[in-house]
Amino acid sequence: MFRSVLYVHWKQVHLGLIPLMVAAFSLPLLSVQGLGGNGGVTSFNDTSLAIIQGLQVWLPFFSALAAASGVVIALSSWNWDHQLNHVYALSLPVPRWRYALMKMGAGAVLTLFPAVALWVGAHLAAASIVLPEGLHAYPNALAIRFLATILLTYAILFAMAAGTVRTTMWVTGTGILTLFILGLIGNDLLAGQFEVLRGTHILEWALAKLDWVPGPLEIFLGNWRLIDV
Amino acid sequence: MSNAIELKNLCWKAGKSFALQDVSLVVPSGCIYGFLGPNGSGKTTTIRMFMGMMKPDSGSIRVLDRSVPEGMTEILARVGYVPERPHVYPALTVSEQIRWHRSFFSRWDDAWAAELMGRLHVDPDMKISRLSKGQTGKLLILLALAQRPELLVLDEPTDGLDPVVRRDVLTATLDYVSETGATVFISSHLVHELERICDWVGVMDHGHLVAQLPMNDFKNGIKRLRVTGAPAETADAPFHLLSRARDNGTGSTETWIVRDWEDTMRSYFAGVGAELRDVVDLDLEDGFVELLRSSRPASAREE
Repeated sequence: MFRSVLYVHWKQVHLGLIPLMVAAFSLPLLSVQGLGGNGGVTSFNDTSLAIIQGLQVWLPFFSALAAASGVVIALSSWNWDHQLNHVYALSLPVPRWRYALMKMGAGAVLTLFPAVALWVGAHLAAASIVLPEGLHAYPNALAIRFLATILLTYAILFAMAAGTVRTTMWVTGTGILTLFILGLIGNDLLAGQFEVLRGTHILEWALAKLDWVPGPLEIFLGNWRLIDV
Repeated sequence: MSNAIELKNLCWKAGKSFALQDVSLVVPSGCIYGFLGPNGSGKTTTIRMFMGMMKPDSGSIRVLDRSVPEGMTEILARVGYVPERPHVYPALTVSEQIRWHRSFFSRWDDAWAAELMGRLHVDPDMKISRLSKGQTGKLLILLALAQRPELLVLDEPTDGLDPVVRRDVLTATLDYVSETGATVFISSHLVHELERICDWVGVMDHGHLVAQLPMNDFKNGIKRLRVTGAPAETADAPFHLLSRARDNGTGSTETWIVRDWEDTMRSYFAGVGAELRDVVDLDLEDGFVELLRSSRPASAREE
């Protein structure tokens, strides 16, 4: 049963996912083009700095690509079922929770595809460049970070996309509105009530908690360097 | 005899425009039950209720001796369902769709599926998005039959199909039923189609179950009578008067549409000083139309 779910998900997503896999494979190779030292350099010198700086411009593309992969896989999970008003899914003799779990599992397996493509590309990229002493390539770490980012994006969007468009709009809208109200009004109200909150902006605090260590979205902004000290 | 489907006092409201009102329906096991009603009468909503896709506001549902929704997974494993609109995945090929469907049904019969594919001329390599309406209809019935269901629920399965395909689909269904004794619940607004195959019939209108009776009673019990000197009051009549109208230019002659008619009731007219001039059998479609007409309030009839 799971194999069927996986196959159908692949059929749904492959047109979107294959270009992303090609991009994931190519990105590490592109990022090291024109970089590299002569070998045998003994100290952390200009070449090393040039390599690190050269990689810097590519970093946002890695997290963006991971996020895009997660989005494509998640949205395709429910796409056909939404189009058919879930009539087919609901007529199958399988509990709804199990069906959702199989869908989620199939999507999770598919997140491996771009991650493996990136892992292969990263290893090739690492092998194609001679690194000065003090610098190391981290293709495995990069691929794991890439996979984790896809999974995070996928998990969030899978849950959101499972509902109807109306439900998704409600949840998103309510979330944004709550943050907005907290930011504009709630801050003064709460600060008036709780001394500990004085001088703290709740909205800024919440956003910081989301994307800074150990926030759940920190992974998007972390260290995406294939080559580092 | 047990019942394949039992609905008791089912109520459900959708805004102000539509409601299922106190629908109680019984489908005996092994019968072919025709579910008639005009578009928008609540047929599909009723089906979705007992298929566990929608939850009623009140009332109880039992299908194949299991309660809905508690026993839904078990029930669905024994039910072949063809929905009103095709529910198959358009980007798959026919054989991919069959593989997908098969993986969920433990009673799936590969040999029977292959035989049906040949009989219905379904191309396994064809992409579903490229199938014609008729081919899609055949595929849906193939999927429903090859899982060897005890109950087939067909929601307008032949709507929009050409006569040849319609016959293919119905023949395949009837062959399966005669072989296995499965129960069929078939909804349609194509009255003639059901007349030939059903042995029970239920009629829906405006969210009400207007009538539910064996097909023979339906066909034989609804008559058009021509009556001269008809009495104004018919409360003591042994039959159920659905409608009456004075014939044009014939003085005191009226046309009555009656239900539950039996030939022994002719004597009633002599007793009330009237003369029964003619008794005409109505076909199912006329009977259906008269039944609907009589069940609707006067305001709705005038519309």
